[in-house]
Amino acid sequence: MSGRRVVITGLGAVSSLGIGARHNFQQTLNGHSGIGMLELPGNHQRAGLPAAQIRMPLPEVIRTAEQAQFDRNALLGWIAASEALQQSGAMADGDAADSGVFWGTGMGGASTVEAGYVDLFVENKGRVRPMSVVAGMNNAAAAQIALRCQFRGTVNNYSSACVSSAQAIGEAYRHIHHGYAERVLAGGSEALLTYGVVSAWDALRVLAGAEAGQAQRACRPFAQDRAGLVLGEASAAVMLESLESAQRRGATILAELAGYGASNDATHITKPDADGQARAMAMALRHAGLDGADIGYINAHGAGTAAGDLAESQSIRKALGAAADKVQVSSTKSMHGHTLGAAGALEFVMTVQALASGSLPPTAFLEQPDPQCDLDFIPLKARHGQSMLAAMSNSFAFGGSNVSLIVRQFN
Amino acid sequence: MTTSLSTVINLLAKALDVPEASITGQTELESLGADSLTVIELIFDLEEKFNIQIGDERPNLVVVQDIADHIDSYLVNLKAAS
Repeated sequence: MSGRRVVITGLGAVSSLGIGARHNFQQTLNGHSGIGMLELPGNHQRAGLPAAQIRMPLPEVIRTAEQAQFDRNALLGWIAASEALQQSGAMADGDAADSGVFWGTGMGGASTVEAGYVDLFVENKGRVRPMSVVAGMNNAAAAQIALRCQFRGTVNNYSSACVSSAQAIGEAYRHIHHGYAERVLAGGSEALLTYGVVSAWDALRVLAGAEAGQAQRACRPFAQDRAGLVLGEASAAVMLESLESAQRRGATILAELAGYGASNDATHITKPDADGQARAMAMALRHAGLDGADIGYINAHGAGTAAGDLAESQSIRKALGAAADKVQVSSTKSMHGHTLGAAGALEFVMTVQALASGSLPPTAFLEQPDPQCDLDFIPLKARHGQSMLAAMSNSFAFGGSNVSLIVRQFN
Repeated sequence: MTTSLSTVINLLAKALDVPEASITGQTELESLGADSLTVIELIFDLEEKFNIQIGDERPNLVVVQDIADHIDSYLVNLKAAS
């Protein structure tokens, strides 16, 4: 594919595993799980459900006067985005009309919307807080990030369920590749652990249950004793940049974003389809100019549902062919849960660090492998000293959307 | 005569995370970093506090006292009506 090369110069992350991209990655290498029993604010609880909640105090990145404008979704977003921005050092570059923000979220300001409903229908207040629209709108996080970075180029929002932020990163890659911007802060955020939203997911019967003492091992992708997916909250961001821009600034290049593939199953609204997934992976390989054998590690979508795990095991075989026997695959969702609109970005941030460090996070709690899922899923323990040319991050969504991103060593 | 000024200062200090002592009736809202959205939030909280409904009327509010005067005019009407 002709076009400009796109490199990664900054990473940011906040999740149940902690604050900071490097810390999050280290936690996964340690096999540490951020999952616990769900504790919702207020009186209404949904008992028996584990969740990947961010329980540590958040850094004070906004002024008190701004709090009313910030849903938790945008707050998490700015925490991750400001980390990526800072690492990239891009602020020093001057004209930011050539810089944009591409952001993904599944449910945006869910807690603001729900608080409004409580005021109207439960408290009978007859009105909602004045900043309900400003805080609740789906583009709030992206807009606040652009405002704070003074990025005056294109600001786009993607809401495609669980691929939202992977799609944002992929589309940002194309945006730079084709010369529409020099740099884009791309990623996503999700903060949907509210009584209403969790109840809706629970009604779909896809959530894992857990006993109180067992909550941390509730998400077991590719395991025979899997129990379903575990919802989580998070945000993650990457600074993507044209190679020319990064070199001009003297920025440290962490890796090259070499390929993006996107497809839709168009078969079923929720049931995953191996063909659709394989098409996204094949497209990403084609764009990257790589063969399946060049991929040393895949951060799987691996949400921990029976249908999803099986489809992905098949689709990786389909896309990589014989190379699937050698590729190392793991699902870090076993530790940070399924962070929906933030998942693609969070797992991409893990993938970049795995490629750069040669250390591969395990699939935690994979003690009883599902024989139908017959790939090397890096059970239980991280592997170190794994140098490779390229790595892939997969994200698949309700609605049939599939996204694969490929990063390769920069040289 | 002002009845609401101390409440306005109290809520404004909380919203902007500044000491109450740093705010007087003549302090300019702009100098406090209170923009139009801050003022909308503040008036919403004052409405709840005094159980009044100001509606869509938005006079030119420049200093803190302007907000207190605006609220007071409603409190006077409320008193007259009761």
